[in-house]
Amino acid sequence: MNPKNNLIIGLIIAGIIAMSYNIDANPAEFVEGLPNLAIVVKEMAEVEPDLFAIAFWSMLETIEMAFIGTVVGVVIALPLSLLAARNLNSKLIYVPLRGILAATRTFPSILWAILFVIMVGLGPFAGVLAIIMYTIGFIAKLQYESIEAVDSEPVEAVNSIGVSKLQLIRHVVIPESAPHLISQVLYMFDYNVRQTSILGLVGAGGIGFYIINYIKFFEYGKAAVFMIVVLITVLIIDFVSVKIRDKYIVKEQKGMQVKV
Amino acid sequence: MSLKKLLKKSTPSSSISKLSTINTKILIHMNDVWASYDGKNYSLKEITLSIERGTNYAIVGQSGSGKSTLLKLINGMMNPSKGQIKVDYQTPNMNKKQFRREMSKIGYIPQSLGLVKNISVLENVLIGALPRIGTLNSLLKNFPEHEIEEAKKIIKLVGLNGKENRKTYMLSGGEKRRVAIARALMQKPILLLADEIVSELDQVTAREIMDLVADAQKRLNLTAVMVHHDMQLALEYANRVAVIKEGQKILEIGIDGDKIIDFQSGNMPQQEIMELYNNES
Ligand SMILES: Nc1ncnc2c1ncn2[C@@H]1O[C@H](COP(=O)(O)OP(=O)(O)O)[C@@H](O)[C@H]1O
Ligand SMILES: [Mg+2]
Repeated sequence: MNPKNNLIIGLIIAGIIAMSYNIDANPAEFVEGLPNLAIVVKEMAEVEPDLFAIAFWSMLETIEMAFIGTVVGVVIALPLSLLAARNLNSKLIYVPLRGILAATRTFPSILWAILFVIMVGLGPFAGVLAIIMYTIGFIAKLQYESIEAVDSEPVEAVNSIGVSKLQLIRHVVIPESAPHLISQVLYMFDYNVRQTSILGLVGAGGIGFYIINYIKFFEYGKAAVFMIVVLITVLIIDFVSVKIRDKYIVKEQKGMQVKV
Repeated sequence: MSLKKLLKKSTPSSSISKLSTINTKILIHMNDVWASYDGKNYSLKEITLSIERGTNYAIVGQSGSGKSTLLKLINGMMNPSKGQIKVDYQTPNMNKKQFRREMSKIGYIPQSLGLVKNISVLENVLIGALPRIGTLNSLLKNFPEHEIEEAKKIIKLVGLNGKENRKTYMLSGGEKRRVAIARALMQKPILLLADEIVSELDQVTAREIMDLVADAQKRLNLTAVMVHHDMQLALEYANRVAVIKEGQKILEIGIDGDKIIDFQSGNMPQQEIMELYNNES
């Protein structure tokens, strides 16, 4: 390790100490707080199994919200990604559009949820709108990046046939950029289920509504039931999306390796 | 009779190009064409040539000599800095609407083939029909039955029977070339431009592909302009061979009756050709 690296590491450590003072981070408080955690954990251990049915149904609502939000968000994001791709459009179109898309990503979905609760009132609809907004910004960005990475050779070759721009997009650009889409959408759905689980904190529907309310009234045992359901659901979705990804994406790559 | 056979039997004599007179059979004409990518260095200089309809015209030269550039000029992907080009009485320019219609009849196969790898063989071949399909139907991938039949027929013709639903990235190098040829034929072309499409193949496969092109050419009365790396293949299949060196055409030979004519100088170039031929093989 050279002196320059040592200096950088020293500066980072000094920075962390200085910032910790600034944000009132006190390790002593953490240690003092451990008994409190023990109390919470103990109360949580006294789960109330009769609540599992409600937890299950509210989890289902959460998944439905995430599903609708992901699908609608992706459907809106795809045409936008075509317009935001630098290799397909003029600056006049893609520069402002990219700005808007970047703005939608700047807010985490919980901030969007607050905004939509104000707009359309409490309930799952506000949550779905929040998920849609975030999904648009995210998927559109991933897609316009893969559109810009499309191999120029087939684009030039097919363009030389004298096809129209729409035909070129439909028959070359979309098929060449689509393979990543499945895995991006799966990831987005996975992420959206987790996000939707906490949107209830601001009254935008989903299972988080129960969790925050039980915690407010110190009913950790009840909150625990809902948190366990979230945990299990997320693990299942994770497992399933890995399976789907393996099936569709890995197989394709293997195909490429077998015959060159 | 192939150029190669003629070279072996013919005796030196002098002859003048008959093509200097205006000829309605001419499909491609270039007059003192210069081309540059950067405005400073010329990749092609003083290119003058005429290609008659139905000809199999070969362009041979070392790497970097300007062969690919010449093809790009013919299909309007690039414009000359100086000089005139006419293809089927029109000036090639891919940004002009009128020439884009002409481009639908030019089957251009770049060195990289330019296939869409994530779609099937059939879908790649159908791309050749796109200029004949309306916007809405092509967005829905809704091809008329007769076009699908035609595509399947061409796939069979190029020897890919049974592979029409195979994804293109799964094909071998030879098979990919067949798909590229099929896509070009699907255009119902009057002109085929092929850039070193057999260069990376083994001798047997290269000949199969060349036979395929020669066969299609005869049946459809196609004009073909093919870039080759290998002089031997060019002499075997073409009825005209142009040799390009450092952006200039240094030699152009062809058949007139059963004689070989040097279209560059009007003299029989036996000596030079044989040297080239011996060097390459
Ligand atoms: N896109 C390009 N930009 C700049 N220079 C190029 C480009 N393509 C080719 N050239 C140059 O033009 C010359 C001829 O290239 P090319 O026509 O591709 O040769 P060939 O096909 O005979 O190998 C070379 O010197 C090459 O470096
Ligand atoms: Mg080349």
